[in-house]
Amino acid sequence: MSGVDLSLERLLFNLNTLAELGEEITSPKDFTRVVKSSLYMVMGTFSASKGIVFQYDQSDGLFTQIASKGLLDVRGAGLKISKDAATAIIRNNKPIDLKSADPVIAHLGPGREFLERLGARVLAFLIVKDELLGLIAMSDKFSGEDYTLYDYQLLSVMAQHISFSLHSHTLLMRLMYRYNENKGLYENLRRIYYDTIHAFAAAIDAKDAYTKGHSHRVSSYSAAVAREMGWTADDIEGIRISGLLHDIGKIAVDKSIINKASPLTSNECKELNSHPVIGYEILSRIKFPWKGIPMMTRNHHEKVDGSGYPDRLKKNDIPLGARIMALVDAFDAMTTDRPYRPRLSFKEAIDEVKDHYNRQFDPEVVRPFISVIRKEVLAEVENPTIVPLMHEHLDPVTLSRILDGFPR
Amino acid sequence: MAGRHKHRETGTSVVIYADNYINDIEGEKLEEMCDAFLEKGFKKIVIDFSGTDLVNSIGVSILIGIIEKIKGKGAVVFSGLKDVNFQIFHIVGLTRHIRVYNNEEDALKEGACADGASL
Ligand SMILES: [Fe+2]
Repeated sequence: MSGVDLSLERLLFNLNTLAELGEEITSPKDFTRVVKSSLYMVMGTFSASKGIVFQYDQSDGLFTQIASKGLLDVRGAGLKISKDAATAIIRNNKPIDLKSADPVIAHLGPGREFLERLGARVLAFLIVKDELLGLIAMSDKFSGEDYTLYDYQLLSVMAQHISFSLHSHTLLMRLMYRYNENKGLYENLRRIYYDTIHAFAAAIDAKDAYTKGHSHRVSSYSAAVAREMGWTADDIEGIRISGLLHDIGKIAVDKSIINKASPLTSNECKELNSHPVIGYEILSRIKFPWKGIPMMTRNHHEKVDGSGYPDRLKKNDIPLGARIMALVDAFDAMTTDRPYRPRLSFKEAIDEVKDHYNRQFDPEVVRPFISVIRKEVLAEVENPTIVPLMHEHLDPVTLSRILDGFPR
Repeated sequence: MAGRHKHRETGTSVVIYADNYINDIEGEKLEEMCDAFLEKGFKKIVIDFSGTDLVNSIGVSILIGIIEKIKGKGAVVFSGLKDVNFQIFHIVGLTRHIRVYNNEEDALKEGACADGASL
């Protein structure tokens, strides 16, 4: 993703659009309005001045306009493709540049010229489960810039959201509303959301050599602990997202401070410690489909004895998710190299956790954390998440020695 | 004038307050409104965002629509942008096409000079 603008504002703008799009397409508003709003969102995201949405009818291969902006009314004018073309489009399943040499374009036949006359530049087909439902065509960017690789990725994500909406509509029209099937689609939608945030988290982590992969590990460790504590699938997904974004406030902190090897001055310390609040401010502006993400981010440096920051909260006043993240965040920081010290061994890290038990870390969280590790070492779980990321081999005998004397 | 957008006429200029209506497809009424003002002989349209919290992608697409529609018929300028909105306009390329002023007074002052009208 070179040359991509990954500024905070871009992140905010795009995440917000995704959240709103997700909300829009699952809202009970009338269908035409939903499609129109979705089209405007896509156009606004890429600053395209012209755009159109077509619905595809499998039985006759015809595309019918259902929403448009910035261009002449083309109702009646036709776009028709063959069955083979539809198959090729479904197999390709990604947005295409009408000016490129993409083999899919040849399948459009005279449709290509029709779309060019409308001013189309980029096509995003709406596909759900190997079924072609429609097409979004968009003009060049208003700013004159080219569409980037990242734009294509984001467009693909948005098109999948909209496909979902078209699909549920089509299902309703056919009176074939199948709850389970739609539930699967809805999960898919969340997955798309998650993948987008993932890409941003990777970009944030990559800015700083030392935190490389940190957000991803905090995310999976938190999810593993939450699962062990019996959280619902939805809440687990929420903490997973939260883990990815918990250090987002660091993008506002001077890089030299994050990477500094010598002790920080009090001003530098203040700046670094502002990251949970900045993160909270950023994330509370985004409408997430999961609960508690801004607060988990804000309070991930609190300690149960009230000596943490920024709110100096005590045990039960700290959101449970933040208590989980505080533990796994510290654990990952200890077990990876830092600018000011090499990493601790697993045993040393566990000793630290023991030392700060019930002071920095919440016993209610430490216990399930230890129990996940134990289960992973004993191969009692299918997909171990924590142990494989340790830099040393842990066998049951060594582990029980390390955990010896640990409060149960 | 129909539409929910508040506005204020002064000389040959008019200030329209985008507020948060701009973030909904209903905000498209703004486009017709701008068109109607130009038809009536107004020279400059100031769209003021001091009451707009965060412009979303729908808002951006409506604004692009307005700029395209008004091209050559008159001038549109923006005022009162919060920092975050300025950044968004910058990202999507709007600031390269539209003059941005700190507040509506500045926008009107400039406007008056530019087309030689007196206030
Ligand atoms: Fe942190």
